[in-house]
Amino acid sequence: MRKYNKNIVLLLALVALLIPNACQKDLLDPVPQNSLSDATIFATPDRFLSLINGIYSQMKSGQFYGGRYLVYGDVAAEEFLNETGNGVTALQVWNHTLGESANEVNNLWNAVYTTINSCNIFIDGADRNRAVLNNDALANQYIGEARFVRALCYHSLVLTYCRPYADGNGSNLGVPLRVQPEIGPTNNNLARATVAEVYDLILGDLNFAEQNLAASNGSALLNVTRAHKNAAIALKARVLLAMGRYSDVVTETNKLVPAAAPYKAPSGVAHELQADVKKVFATPYTTTESILSMPFTSTNLPGVQNGLGSYYNPGPRGIGDYSLNPKGIIGDTLNFSLADARRSFVLNHTNNKPYLNKFPAGPEHLDYAPVLRYAEVLLNLAEAEARTGGVTQRAVDMLNAVRGRSDASVQFTTASFATADELITAILRERRIELLGEGFRDFDCLRLLQPLPGKANVAAILPSVSEYIWPIPSGELAVNKDCVPNP
Amino acid sequence: MNNPPVFRVRGINSINLSSFPLIVIDGVPTFTGDLGNSAANNVLSNLNPNDIESIDILKDASATAIYGSRASAGVVLITTKRGQKGKTRVSYDAWAGWASATRVPEVLNAQQYVEIKNEAAANAGLSGPQYFLDSINGQLIDTKWEDYIYQTGFSHNHGLSFSGGGDQTTYYLSLGYTEQEGMIVTNTFKRLSGRLNLDHKLTKRIKIGGALGYSNNDNVGPNSGSLPGQAFSTAGIGRLAFVTAPVVDPYLYDSRGERLPGTAGYNIGTNNQVGRGKNKQQTGFYNPMPLIDLNKQTSEANQIQSSVYGQLEIVKGLSIKSQYGIDNIRVENVTFWTPIHGDGLGQSGLAANTSIDYKRWNWQNLLNYDVTLAEKHTIGALVGTEQQRTITEGWGAQRTVIADPFFTTYQGNFTTIVPTGNFQGENYLLSYFGRLNYEFNRRYYLTFNVRQDEYSAFASGEKKGTFWGASAGWTLSEEAFWQNTIGKTVNFFKLRGSYGTVGNNQGIGDFASQSLYGSGLYGASPTIVYTQAGNPDLTWETSKKTDIGIVFGLFNDRLQGEYTYFKNVIDGLVQNAPQAPSKGIPGNSIAINIGAMENTGHEFSLSATVFRSGKFSWTSSANLTLMKNEITELYEDSDIFSATSGLESTNIHRVGESVGSIFAVETQGVNPANGQRLYVKADGTVVQYNHVVPAGQSRWTTLDGAAATAASLLADGKVYGPAIPKWFGGWDNTFTYGSVDLNVQLNYAGGNYIYNGSKAGLRDQRGWNNHTDVLDRWSENNTGGKIPRVVFGDNVSNGSALPISENVEKGDFLRIRNITIGYRLPANLLERANIASLRIYGNVNNAFLFTGYSGTDPEVSANGNSNSTPGVDRNTVPMAQTFTVGVNLGF
Repeated sequence: MRKYNKNIVLLLALVALLIPNACQKDLLDPVPQNSLSDATIFATPDRFLSLINGIYSQMKSGQFYGGRYLVYGDVAAEEFLNETGNGVTALQVWNHTLGESANEVNNLWNAVYTTINSCNIFIDGADRNRAVLNNDALANQYIGEARFVRALCYHSLVLTYCRPYADGNGSNLGVPLRVQPEIGPTNNNLARATVAEVYDLILGDLNFAEQNLAASNGSALLNVTRAHKNAAIALKARVLLAMGRYSDVVTETNKLVPAAAPYKAPSGVAHELQADVKKVFATPYTTTESILSMPFTSTNLPGVQNGLGSYYNPGPRGIGDYSLNPKGIIGDTLNFSLADARRSFVLNHTNNKPYLNKFPAGPEHLDYAPVLRYAEVLLNLAEAEARTGGVTQRAVDMLNAVRGRSDASVQFTTASFATADELITAILRERRIELLGEGFRDFDCLRLLQPLPGKANVAAILPSVSEYIWPIPSGELAVNKDCVPNP
Repeated sequence: MNNPPVFRVRGINSINLSSFPLIVIDGVPTFTGDLGNSAANNVLSNLNPNDIESIDILKDASATAIYGSRASAGVVLITTKRGQKGKTRVSYDAWAGWASATRVPEVLNAQQYVEIKNEAAANAGLSGPQYFLDSINGQLIDTKWEDYIYQTGFSHNHGLSFSGGGDQTTYYLSLGYTEQEGMIVTNTFKRLSGRLNLDHKLTKRIKIGGALGYSNNDNVGPNSGSLPGQAFSTAGIGRLAFVTAPVVDPYLYDSRGERLPGTAGYNIGTNNQVGRGKNKQQTGFYNPMPLIDLNKQTSEANQIQSSVYGQLEIVKGLSIKSQYGIDNIRVENVTFWTPIHGDGLGQSGLAANTSIDYKRWNWQNLLNYDVTLAEKHTIGALVGTEQQRTITEGWGAQRTVIADPFFTTYQGNFTTIVPTGNFQGENYLLSYFGRLNYEFNRRYYLTFNVRQDEYSAFASGEKKGTFWGASAGWTLSEEAFWQNTIGKTVNFFKLRGSYGTVGNNQGIGDFASQSLYGSGLYGASPTIVYTQAGNPDLTWETSKKTDIGIVFGLFNDRLQGEYTYFKNVIDGLVQNAPQAPSKGIPGNSIAINIGAMENTGHEFSLSATVFRSGKFSWTSSANLTLMKNEITELYEDSDIFSATSGLESTNIHRVGESVGSIFAVETQGVNPANGQRLYVKADGTVVQYNHVVPAGQSRWTTLDGAAATAASLLADGKVYGPAIPKWFGGWDNTFTYGSVDLNVQLNYAGGNYIYNGSKAGLRDQRGWNNHTDVLDRWSENNTGGKIPRVVFGDNVSNGSALPISENVEKGDFLRIRNITIGYRLPANLLERANIASLRIYGNVNNAFLFTGYSGTDPEVSANGNSNSTPGVDRNTVPMAQTFTVGVNLGF
């Protein structure tokens, strides 16, 4: 009897098990708990804002404006010497040995286009989901921010991978112009637009941004870490400078620089030079001289071997991959006097090598990475004035504003310069001093079709050779069959 | 040590999904792979080898159908020991072993280093010597870094087991302990394991039983640089042993020659590199000594594998069985990096603890019917269901900026904390299957099976896959005509064939079909960013497997053999289809079922009692597999390039070629006229490279000196051949003479190519040390030199910046993998001590290697189990040779 019962119970139990429990079927449709589905990203107004911050965070990638992009712009030219021989910290940029499969070439391209796609997804989605926001001005402001970032992205691409605008007025090959969201497997093939077509898109985006961005984002932090009207104008001036449209540069920069001192932006955020340049690069990094910077916190760092401080600070604050070239601008004590306040950015290390001390925070690289700064606006205006009007008082005033705040011993007058060229030379030199370490050196050589000067045993790169610009990355060429390499 | 193995059944059977076979322990599919940090933690090593009764490898479609959905890469069935009725058996097995590095690259000594590097500096136009011989207390500094990093590691292992039982209950109980030291200092592995397997007859018709296995393993490891992703790690001490300059010492000394105390005693320079001393240029990357002494990386796993079953015989031949199993692993990874040097410097010290939790349950229910009718017809039928649910979770945090150098643990004080190692995943598999066997009079065999699976990771509406297989066999030797003719010689002969489809879902992401956005930070603000482009059509990758073969026995089975032809056609390969980077798709890829691949081959095996006379016997078995892999379709026919650690692109997937073929630009040695490396461009033009040229001149020139464009991997690269062997096999011999046994195992493989990136690294003309082959560099006095003229800073001519054919080598080898000699003590001697059996043995593992390959090991894999970058040797550690002595004792 007992035995019989056991058999029955077990048999029933086993038969029951053979019929899988119907409710287990839900297990076939799991929902990730730490990611959002694409269908829900525009579901709330807060998510619009998070998406915008997401776009900035991608632009802030350590491969891009978070660090490396600026480093590339400086070490390609003559101001820095490589110290570590480490192949993953811009050595090939410094050496001019970048091939199309080099990591720098592929990683920057990837980081920039990832940001561009996020902009395109946002521009498209925000427009279709305006009802969620229920605030057209805000929707347009957000879209303006996405278009601002997209413009900055495309400008970085043409400056790096394409012949300068000055070479044939933009008639050379640009980059593939992606303006639609890409979320599926189609559209791999897209030919390169011309440089001029890329610039058209950039200017269109910046004009839209200028009109729709907020005049002010409401706090010192947001005015430095997110775009606003003045940021769009300042960037547009830089873009026009790259195109050699100097009278337009004057028009744009004049929106930010009043006719007479004190030079302080008359509308929007009240941008102006700080009395002490060191303050701009010191915590909290949110002075009104900074028009746009990339923020870092202890919980949001640029990543290993990405931070500006990692490259330029000697140990233990950084890795010190690059020291300053004593034969570069810091060796020019005549024009960059030892009394100049900007000399405090040159650190003479115990190993007798000078290092850039502009981003001294380390080993956590918390210094904000500069994107747009009022000093650049003034120097852009100075140069455009000199190129359109010769040795004008306005051009000299701008130069004096930047030079004078760090070295009061020198005050130029229009008589200081016999020709416009002399003035322009002084302005370009001032850019090397003022913007050292902010990624401008190769930009200033390329836009004027000047050689990238040599250093140590690395020879200068003339505008005629292929190393003058970066190759189109192998990753793109392998998949995008309509994309052609640089000659 | 304890890196997961690379394990292939019939080669690579996927591109993006896993080619690792399904490992099933006592009916429950288990986890595989590395769950550690820099200290590897191969979860398969949790199983005590002493507990293994048998390992069966299923290869063809028919045999794998029962695990059909996960069997694309084969199935390895591991069965643990069960108790046997009878007297309690006690056995104790122990061994001790010594492991050391072999085939270590020969690098320059201090004098040679100074000579080469200063010559390179002069050739690069640097003014004056850059490197200098130096001494400490009158003693020349000539550091042999490998002596600081490699050691003879001692290991020992103990296993104790009890088994036995009565009519109703049988049991197997075991304990195991192993403690091993690696050939790299500080690398250790410990495992403590216990197992209880129990079977009980409840009634005449009901059997219940279960297994409970517990294992704790503890791995301590430096960053050796030998795990996937670590190949270029500057902290990988495996390579620091060879690339750090011999002209600097690891330590600093005072004027009396005493090492400075504490951390001040390490020779560390400004740039987080080993201190340069008098030298003007870098002398290496990290100083390995503070990393060895002060960093700590451990990975500890606790795993429980357990199952219970109940089986009821309803009527004779008809039984029902239910088995429920769990497999839970908890891993804790602990990392501490010193703030004074190395990877920890950039974070001012780092302590990270992460926890990984893998949980699985598996429930199988089987109804089985076996019957023999009219003595000749044997029929077997099986229907069943299986459910398997897996949940994976990881979480942890990383603390940086040490508050005081005193702290070395996560629990100490650091000023910053950020999350790290967070993930959450889950998947579920629901299957129904059936199998029908028919056998007629031991002559004809037929099997048919079918299985339907639903898997959660595939797209909605695409989760279901149906797979089936059939096989047939004919034992000719049972037929009268056979027995009457050649039956006396060929006593057994069977023809067999099978065909079937199997699926592959192994290695696919849990949410691979979905388009996802993640959340992060921009400064202090939360963000949403695009993280995965999904595919609403993603479904099973399937393969069609065909097997045809014979099995035979000659001379009363004194010689037995098998031959099989196999073909595996994989369709709808889940490919991470490359997307143009300009599209900005996360990861530049989308998982799509597109692409196809074929594996075809022949397997031969023979085993024989070669000789038996009196006390002496020799048995031998050998096998050989010939295999060809070919990709037949890829997304948009685009080549896919794959790189080691994301840095060195040496492999290609291309239609018509073997998966992950070795790809490089052809080089033709050195131009005797000027010592420059010669490259061949796609159009056949030969160009040469000079690292340092005056302004306006091109580094790349044609042989007549005209400027040329740079050699390009994309435009000028060529496929050199398969990275996976085209032939491989083994030969196993056992000789016994009375109580003495000798076992010799050989294995061999070849037809494949290896990209020897380590060779490039050892010829790099930055400050690193070089292989002694660099002494044969071109110079005006040695125009026949095989190594290009050395130019300081040159990382192109050696192949570091661009993979070149100079570093492509054939991988053919023959290895005497294992030699064991044992002695079984005579029974009469043991009886007095109440010992049933006692055997002592000595063993050498990796005894000899015959190969033309110049690197450390032709079976190397710098990229672990990756399908896309096989056959790459990049800064991998030398291979280990182990000597062991052991004892097997039975009571």
